[in-house]
Amino acid sequence: MPPLSSPAPPVYRAGNGKTRGTDLDIRFEGAGARFGERIALEPLTLTLTERRIGIIGLNGSGKTTFARMINGLTKPTEGRVTVNGLDTRDDAASVLSMVGFIFQNPQNQIILPIVRDDIGFGLKNRGMGKAEIRTAVDVVLARFQVSHLAERRAHELSGGELQLAALCAVLVTRPQVLILDEPTNQLDLKNRALVERTIEGLNEDVVVISHDLELVDDFDRVLVFDKGRLAVDAPPEEAITRYRELVA
Amino acid sequence: MRTLYVEADTILHRLPPRAKLLALAAASIALFLTRSLPWLGIAVLIGVGLYFSLGLPMREALARLRPIFLTIVVVCLFNLLFNSPADAAVVLLRLTTLMLLAATVTATTSIADFIDEITVLVGPLERIGFLKAADVGLAVGLVIRFVPEILARYAAIREAHTARGLPVRPLTLIAPLIILTLRDADSIAAAIDARGFRRQ
Repeated sequence: MPPLSSPAPPVYRAGNGKTRGTDLDIRFEGAGARFGERIALEPLTLTLTERRIGIIGLNGSGKTTFARMINGLTKPTEGRVTVNGLDTRDDAASVLSMVGFIFQNPQNQIILPIVRDDIGFGLKNRGMGKAEIRTAVDVVLARFQVSHLAERRAHELSGGELQLAALCAVLVTRPQVLILDEPTNQLDLKNRALVERTIEGLNEDVVVISHDLELVDDFDRVLVFDKGRLAVDAPPEEAITRYRELVA
Repeated sequence: MRTLYVEADTILHRLPPRAKLLALAAASIALFLTRSLPWLGIAVLIGVGLYFSLGLPMREALARLRPIFLTIVVVCLFNLLFNSPADAAVVLLRLTTLMLLAATVTATTSIADFIDEITVLVGPLERIGFLKAADVGLAVGLVIRFVPEILARYAAIREAHTARGLPVRPLTLIAPLIILTLRDADSIAAAIDARGFRRQ
């Protein structure tokens, strides 16, 4: 496969570093992705260590590709991505256990129809017994005060409940960092507020992709993507202002 | 996401999934060991009795069976055409019994239980390095999970055609159905990977 067109990947400065998260260290080292002839993400080099990182940009700008590269769902076609020193290509299983991912449409994330079964699904391959899985599921449901959803069917849940169930299904595996791809997309105001409050209360590091600028305006660092490249990497106020200029 | 599992507390629900799966396997073999129409007739009646004891509303109970029953009818018509009426009757009774028994097991066993049991049952094959038991269990579970999804997709595409005043033809429905199903499959595969199930 021929190399990507960009001759030298740009190096971006870190954000304001307002708060530090866990000891998580995500590095893109000249990492880019292309699908056939189409460049999804131009090569870039940067390090993410902040606790709350926002990713904004127009549809098709490369946001989701960037986020999927963090946990190895999309492998770089050039350069490399590491999480705490582990390469997403060579140590995929370890990286996946460190980085949780909530998809844009939580419906696509639900693998088993009953909420309890679905939340326990991610623990099955970890050598845990049924009783142990049951306890872990109960704990995570209680954490988000949604124990009443345990025996419900996923397709009967409201948008907000479904998003919380998806969140529980990922957090039950205890990832260090959580990536949320447009978590308030398609939600009404009430459910949006519920999900936003939940994200604010998370102890885990979070990377949030969103069109909802209010959601990321108090984050530690915001990345703006445009046409497959990282256009702005700055504290929220500056990044959002420049994003507005970009799309004006 | 819809499910074929019916929430209830019948004796069949309480039976261990393994017993149900093994009984279904044994019944499948037994049905092909006989060509006696009276015995096959009794088998159909047992199947009907078990399936309709689940408490599903009659309309839904019949709707669930319709696509498979239509396939059985087609197979029987071929038998009638190329073999004897007796052969066609045997095929009709065998396959109808199987359909009823399988639908009963599917309606009384959650997908999670299916995955667990299939994984245990094919465990010996993993020990001789033939396959990964967890992958087989997951594959079977996903097949069951996708059946109602695909039917719902089909209904949605049909509705979209009607809404746009387009004639509903099987050929114009199948292409978008395949594309959407493959896209769904891709999303589910990504979700499974993201949750580390396959531990690549």
